[in-house]
Amino acid sequence: MPVDTRRVRAPEESQCPLLFVPLLPRGPLRTVAQPEKARVDGRQRSQVDVRPVFARCGLVTQAKGSAYMEAGKTKVLCAVYGPRESERKDDTDMKAGRLVCDFRYAPFSCPKRGTWIQGSEERDAAQALQEALRPGLCLHRYPRAQVEVNVLVLEHDGSVLAHAVTCASMALVDAGVEMYDLVLGCALRQDGDSYLLDPTLAEESGGHATQPEDNQGGVTVALLPSLGQVSGLHADGELRDESVSAAVRACMEGCHRLYPVVRRALVYAARRKAAPPGDSLET
Amino acid sequence: MHNARNAMEVESSSTCALREFGCEQSLLSRPDGSSSFIQGDTSVLAGVYGPADVKVSKEIHDRATLEVLIQPKVGMSGVRERAQEQCVRETCEAALLSSLHPRSSLSLVLQIIHDDGSLLSCCLNAACMALMDAGLPMGCLFCGVTCAIDRDGRIVTDPTMQQEKESRALMTFAIDSTERKVLMSTTKGSFSVNELQQCIAVSQRASEKIFQFYRDSVRRRYSKTL
Amino acid sequence: MAAGFKTAEPLEYHRSFLKENCRPDGRELGEFRATTLNIGSISTADGSALVKIGNTTVICGIKAELATPPTDAPNKGYIVPNVDLPPLCSSRFRPGPPGEQAQAASQFIADLIDSANIIQREDLCIESGKLSWVLYCDIMCLDYDGNLLDACVIALLAALENAQLPEVTINKETELAEVNPQKLHPLNVTKHPVGSSFAVFDNTIVIVDPTAEEESLSTATITVVTDEDERLCALHKPGGSGLSAEKLQDCISRAVTRHREVRKLIEEVLKSIKPQQ
Repeated sequence: MPVDTRRVRAPEESQCPLLFVPLLPRGPLRTVAQPEKARVDGRQRSQVDVRPVFARCGLVTQAKGSAYMEAGKTKVLCAVYGPRESERKDDTDMKAGRLVCDFRYAPFSCPKRGTWIQGSEERDAAQALQEALRPGLCLHRYPRAQVEVNVLVLEHDGSVLAHAVTCASMALVDAGVEMYDLVLGCALRQDGDSYLLDPTLAEESGGHATQPEDNQGGVTVALLPSLGQVSGLHADGELRDESVSAAVRACMEGCHRLYPVVRRALVYAARRKAAPPGDSLET
Repeated sequence: MHNARNAMEVESSSTCALREFGCEQSLLSRPDGSSSFIQGDTSVLAGVYGPADVKVSKEIHDRATLEVLIQPKVGMSGVRERAQEQCVRETCEAALLSSLHPRSSLSLVLQIIHDDGSLLSCCLNAACMALMDAGLPMGCLFCGVTCAIDRDGRIVTDPTMQQEKESRALMTFAIDSTERKVLMSTTKGSFSVNELQQCIAVSQRASEKIFQFYRDSVRRRYSKTL
Repeated sequence: MAAGFKTAEPLEYHRSFLKENCRPDGRELGEFRATTLNIGSISTADGSALVKIGNTTVICGIKAELATPPTDAPNKGYIVPNVDLPPLCSSRFRPGPPGEQAQAASQFIADLIDSANIIQREDLCIESGKLSWVLYCDIMCLDYDGNLLDACVIALLAALENAQLPEVTINKETELAEVNPQKLHPLNVTKHPVGSSFAVFDNTIVIVDPTAEEESLSTATITVVTDEDERLCALHKPGGSGLSAEKLQDCISRAVTRHREVRKLIEEVLKSIKPQQ
């Protein structure tokens, strides 16, 4: 393995202490979680039951626009720079601007420490983020320019991509980038006949409720809420066709639950920015 | 406890003994200026290129862009070298009148030949001699002095690798030639304010010797050609 | 008018304030920005702290892993600090591997851990020659508005004081390590250094806690780190214009009072989160 010369040297090999936890005490915890019952955090299965969300705009003062979002323990920060001169001169589009997305996990954000070097999971997420956001943006308004979206996950407790989409679209609004609509994200985990909306990390990777490998999978939907259009859809695992359509509907419903919270945060930020405090900014 | 012997040692350290040092300039043909500086067994080779064309992305509109590269004796340069490069670069920037060469590039490459302690100060001295050799306009000259405080609290100037390892604190300063002010400072270990001031004073005295050496070597060189 | 003046002649703009012994953001020359601290907010990290100095925001997360001790020091563990300046925190940083400033900051923090003796590496050894802790101290800047080093030092120290490591025993029969995540022990933080940074304007005027703009216009920056015994752990001045001995002494005195202020802040925040644990 090549040595990373740009960082302080670490020992060649080190293991996460969780690997050394004797397996015995973990066993009973698994069996306690019965299917068809309440989830570990008290939410209901097969219900559009999203975690409480905290959203705030404008925390990164150096950026054109920024947003921070917390859903349960998942914490996502996003900063938007631009529109500014395109960096890659070779493929500057004369007609429309470019949307550049970067997605990163902080090394301490996951149960096991991540590396500094961007992994394939992060690159895939950046790609998915870019594809989900693009339909919401009026990029033709920024020819030859690029808009940069930087997402940093500070703590990973499930549904990261979905919340990154929401957070990024809030940051884009905060940056004053022209948009057709907000883009909201929601994730779902199908577990046999029931589903878990806005799953935590344990639920995302968690055990099989019924028979193993039967109708198990994850779905992430990005929605333009006022246009009612789906701009991004990611599904993995093995799902029955009727579960997929039900999952998409549940996710869309989940996005609509998120909508008022996001709108309130944006209105609050806009009010604070506007010079006369009396301006009404009802949307 | 602090008897006469100790006082003697302070006395002897205040003479700020430097190891034997020497320098050769213009030893390389390709760079615009070069030097090799030797302090005891520590040896650094420096080459300066420029003023030359600069990459558009690195261009500074009102002064020259200086890049410093430190190449270790073996292996690739790492984080430590990068921190040293920053120290050398910002010291050179303070001395160079880089506004006379706007929108151009200067690059300084320091190749470590052998490290036997006081490496950063040797790099600084080599850098200054190479910049002089390249004939770049400078507001002042600078030199590097390393001081170590050993377990008994004595100050050792220009320590060897062994002395560095045995020391309790290690400081490297860059001193300018006009007012003997501290241009650069980097330290390891903990020390009192008093010790710091003593070390600065000792380094300032030691710098006299190096500046005298600079002067002599330039005089020797140009008395031949003129 | 003022905004135009600021953009066209930023240095003159700052000078006109310094002439009146104040700064564009209303601070006096020796005044730090408001410093706030949030400890233990990242539950996936073994210890974490978020520091804000004015707009500058830095987060430090500690992750502990297990490794075999270094062969040349079998009774020691590892501390691996890294500072990252992602493109998220300011438009001046490009994506990709860390640049010179981030690397120099990493080296500064690594040197400081050794110089100040914050953690005894021997304390991180579990069994000599077999097993020891690796403390990954990952420091990320979330908002860059100058004075990165001060914020990094506070974040690192608060995160280390917040860190809890699980108990590790070596099973005599299997010779394998067993981790008990229910039993957590804090780290033994032996020294508590705090840094204070200064910027020099026009080779003479010294201001504390520079913003990003002040840093870029200044002719030199200095960081002084002191510990609770008023000893210096670092005097870091990576070049720039020269500084007289009196000015340096002023910086050190200011650093000593700053140390007391920041220590009080860290202790208060640590105390406030204790009852919940």
